Amino acid sequence: MLPEDGHLSDQELVLAADGELTPRRDAQVRAHLTACWQCRTRLRGLEGAIGDFVHLHSATLDPRVPPAAGARAMLKAQLAEIASQAGTRRAWFLPARWPALAGFAAAVVALLGVYVAIPKSERAVPSPRLTPGAVRQVRKADVCAGSGQEGFVVPVSLQRRVFEEYGIRDAAPNTYEVDYLITPELGGAADIRNLWPQPYSATVWNAHVKDQLEDRLHQLVCDGQLDLATAQHDIATDWIAAYKKYFNSNRPRQN
Amino acid sequence: MTEPDSVARWELAAATTSEDAPAPTADEQEVIQLFDELRNRLLRYLLAFGLPAHESEEVIQEVFLALFQHLRRGRSRENLRGWVFRVAHNLGLKRRLARAREVSSGTGEQEFLAAARADPAENPEEQLLSGQRLQRLQAVLRALPEQDQWCLSLRAEGLRYREIAEVLGMSLGSVSASLGRSLARFSRADEY
Repeated sequence: MLPEDGHLSDQELVLAADGELTPRRDAQVRAHLTACWQCRTRLRGLEGAIGDFVHLHSATLDPRVPPAAGARAMLKAQLAEIASQAGTRRAWFLPARWPALAGFAAAVVALLGVYVAIPKSERAVPSPRLTPGAVRQVRKADVCAGSGQEGFVVPVSLQRRVFEEYGIRDAAPNTYEVDYLITPELGGAADIRNLWPQPYSATVWNAHVKDQLEDRLHQLVCDGQLDLATAQHDIATDWIAAYKKYFNSNRPRQN
Repeated sequence: MTEPDSVARWELAAATTSEDAPAPTADEQEVIQLFDELRNRLLRYLLAFGLPAHESEEVIQEVFLALFQHLRRGRSRENLRGWVFRVAHNLGLKRRLARAREVSSGTGEQEFLAAARADPAENPEEQLLSGQRLQRLQAVLRALPEQDQWCLSLRAEGLRYREIAEVLGMSLGSVSASLGRSLARFSRADEY
């Protein structure tokens, strides 16, 4: 319906711009616009306002959107866990799927053999399947508030489970640190998905080096130079790459 | 530059473990596909809502886990995009309410205010709105009723009027009236 002065309302002009009118009403509005310079000018003004809002929306929000990779990996891991707990996996064991699975299985066995052959002490980064990372619901203010170190000790029973998960049965004392992938100082959770046996020595990229990175990230977050979610994502995705990035160095610094 | 052996081996290990994992179910695949499509849009909406980035990410994780349960129970697959935004909106409101209670009761107030002052990522206006025109547009936006701001944000993220109405629990007519009113104000921003 047209206003009494015969012109279109703002609401109708916006509906027309968004393609939300019924075909019949849309035809009437288009016919009016063809004849009416005033309404065409107002429509252009409203289209400009849409452009202004989109510009404002992007300019204020896009820089605050961190990369999706970490959150995506976290979601996938959680979905897989829920699905496996509920036994909803595909019936991969059905005979019809065996031929296709045979080649896949051979490839997995071959790769797994190579992986197992790597000395455990040289695994500088965790298995992304066993240790994708897990976080607590914390704010930046929480992680910067105090030490809270007493709550970060991994119980012996949980350490034992981590070693079992990684197939380590004969770990000598002080050889490994059952380490948090995302450190609690950055909101990491005391969850088996966030723990792995990290070697102290025998590699360049050892537990001491990762400790340096954790201190660095904590400092950057608390100084307001780095978003907490980005710090969590970077250390969980590839802590060695994160070390290189945040220390601007391809080799670990000397302790 | 040659990467350390450990890094190359990690890549091998990653390939092994990813193939070693069981095949994802159809529901898992659908959830991840929707996550890929909607995550950034949801994040922007929740940020515009006033939640910090890390809380927005947590809300989004909750939303997609809830979606997974929704699909597994065989519930309706109609307009999942609207469903996802509606759940995110409701969870975002809850979070904001909890945060407001925390601040009003004094618990965490200092941390909240300190974070708001210190974290440049959560106070982007000073950094980003350098132009006077952008500042005027921001002033117009802030002067709008909150529901009008939500309508604009949802429309900017690509939702149709019917979807916006479902997310916010409004009538279709109210959505179009809200957008018409808000955009008319934006079109007069230079007059203020």
